[in-house]
Amino acid sequence: MKEPREFFNITVEAKSALPVYEQVKRAIKLAILSGRLEEGDQLMSIRELALKLQVNPNTIIKVYYQLEVEGFVNSRPGAGYYVKFDRKKMQRGKWEIFEKVTGDYISKALDLGYSYEDIVGEISKKLNRETQEIGREK
Amino acid sequence: MITVKDLSFSYGKLKVFENFNLDIPEGQVCLITGINGVGKSTLLRLMAGVLRPAKGEIIFDEKLGDDPKRKIGFISDILSLYESLTVSQSIELHKSVYGISKFDDSLIRHTKIGHSQKIKELSTGQKTIFHLSLILSIEPEVLLIDEIIHSIDAYLRRIFLEQLIQLQSQRKITVVMVNLNFHDIEHIVERVILLKKGEVAVDEKIDGLKAKVKKIISTSPPQTIPILSQIDFSGHSEFFVYPFQEELRNQIRGEVVDLNLTEIVSAFIGGEYA
Repeated sequence: MKEPREFFNITVEAKSALPVYEQVKRAIKLAILSGRLEEGDQLMSIRELALKLQVNPNTIIKVYYQLEVEGFVNSRPGAGYYVKFDRKKMQRGKWEIFEKVTGDYISKALDLGYSYEDIVGEISKKLNRETQEIGREK
Repeated sequence: MITVKDLSFSYGKLKVFENFNLDIPEGQVCLITGINGVGKSTLLRLMAGVLRPAKGEIIFDEKLGDDPKRKIGFISDILSLYESLTVSQSIELHKSVYGISKFDDSLIRHTKIGHSQKIKELSTGQKTIFHLSLILSIEPEVLLIDEIIHSIDAYLRRIFLEQLIQLQSQRKITVVMVNLNFHDIEHIVERVILLKKGEVAVDEKIDGLKAKVKKIISTSPPQTIPILSQIDFSGHSEFFVYPFQEELRNQIRGEVVDLNLTEIVSAFIGGEYA
């Protein structure tokens, strides 16, 4: 049997208005979507993760339950929680995160007082450079 | 699990509670807070059965049986340890009093407590941890924790906290604690109860509380939200507000800042001292 993997770090931010379960859930989702956790990987047990993060075990129960409902995790009674890979769900989850970081970027840029043209210009400049570099590497 | 019903209690002429009611469900981790002297520890002692209410009652779940006190662990600053006994003698005494067959020493194994040491030779923190391990050996359904936790160092506090998490994940233990300094227990707490003049002034789940209490940094006080307390600086002020609602965010002139539990509680308490 595979050992529980732990290739990602979760930190809980006390000052955040984002509930702790939401913070933990996002971190695990991100680890799955970015491929750091793979299909069939075992997640830490509720007790282990609660101890590691020093949070109430009920919080972790809530996280695992929601991840299961959202289709990211499978529970096997008595054996623990495992990463489930559902391509369609993954695409949607990835898109959600993409939308969110894009939104964050835009609101920050607008906050700094930059215009529509500034933002579009900066993005395409950076994007051109990145894709050219990838092209060169190939 | 714990129902406080129409409770009244006074110290002589000093009225602490009058017709006080509170309900704590099984498995919940509850934090009771408020300014000094508001009756937090008194309430805990009433729950523990150390003090008796003048009126009203405290009812425990039926599963605690006819003698609920045997299933209630009370960790207080009044440690019921005999100074002249050794650690192992204290364990034996505890076992015979509570009729338990084995003592779980996993907690004191982490510390430097030796079985042949006398209680009086232990530090305050060691005594607290030892006391806790005695209490846990009775497998309590309810754990009442007074402010004693302040007297133990960061390492022992962490062990204590880990033990609490272990217990919580094994079974539904109900925890009521009284504390004013919480950053290490912050994520264990599920519900916060603020006492004010013998009454429950705030009773919120932790996630709701964090969404509703904010700090607004601004030159002028917000018009639409009640201010709990404020700190004035030369050019601006910090306003602690409750209850904040997301819909109000756009109308607010100034920066809205999220807070941790310690800041939230001091915002409430600060308002009372003002």
